[in-house]
Amino acid sequence: MSHESTLPEGDLLVVLRHGPHGSLWLREGLEAALVAAALGQRVSLLFMGPGVAALAANQQRGPLEQKGTLPMLEMLPLYEVESLLAVDEDLDALGLAPERLAVPAERIAPTAVAALMARHPLVLNF
Amino acid sequence: MILHILNRSPLDSRVYRQAMMAMGPDDRLLLIEEGVQGALPQLVRHFEEIAGRLFVLREDLAARGLEGQCDDSVLVVDVEGFVTLTEEADKSVSWF
Amino acid sequence: MATTEITRYLEVGGNRVGLDPEGYLVELTDWSPAVAEALAAEEGRELTKAHWEVIEVLRDFHARFETSPAMRPLVKAVAQALGGDKGNSLYLMRLFPESPPKVAARLAGLPKPANCL
Repeated sequence: MSHESTLPEGDLLVVLRHGPHGSLWLREGLEAALVAAALGQRVSLLFMGPGVAALAANQQRGPLEQKGTLPMLEMLPLYEVESLLAVDEDLDALGLAPERLAVPAERIAPTAVAALMARHPLVLNF
Repeated sequence: MILHILNRSPLDSRVYRQAMMAMGPDDRLLLIEEGVQGALPQLVRHFEEIAGRLFVLREDLAARGLEGQCDDSVLVVDVEGFVTLTEEADKSVSWF
Repeated sequence: MATTEITRYLEVGGNRVGLDPEGYLVELTDWSPAVAEALAAEEGRELTKAHWEVIEVLRDFHARFETSPAMRPLVKAVAQALGGDKGNSLYLMRLFPESPPKVAARLAGLPKPANCL
């Protein structure tokens, strides 16, 4: 549970609401985050709803060998994207306890989402 | 203040719940496109918590033959009003 | 992603290696050190040990993350692998003038960096 005062600030908040495979939303959101970070913007990522599935360990390529998104997530530290947050209720709904995550994310309560958005001048929803 | 914009109907998708969850106490929500269905008396209960901060776009209602059928609690704006809402907000966030 | 469109071929030791419009390999598996040498020679570059170290870092990056890095992450990856003396943009600019992420990715047989302007 995160207290509001500890929420990160940044230039851009990318909200990821779709899980891996099945649609391009997650990949496109991560690409937007990487481009902004490559240009020196401070980027935060919020995983919400089905999007929290992007954090799960043991993801693989799709049945037709489609690339997954986990390698992109693992690359984020090299782009200096360090603030990853996820809505705790949504993690719990999918049984994603911290030890089941491939990439650590800070758990935040749904009530903290509004404050998080307020701390970023630009919010992009994917 | 953030202007949230929703284009999905509560009949079709739970995205409206994500939008409501993300709204701060002063934030506003504008229903557009198929999202305008949420302004009907039968569905407006989904937006109870944000009464007084719920807007709906007149042109999208009219296009669907729904103008005049909204719940009284919903504030109807035209495209010009949409622009004003955008100007009054620090930023907009789209939910789809 | 590499494009699938072959606009020309590079002759390397009797093999024909397909290149896309920007000179990147179409089939990443076509790569070999000899291909890198041939690509470099075409551009009038000579590959030294310093170049090879960076090419190695890039190929590791791609094996791990399935993509080619933009400048910042390239600098960081080089710093992690080879130390801070080499993990800086000045050093990389000197080795791969114009655009280190693009030039080095091409020589390393990797796709063009996607999020690199």
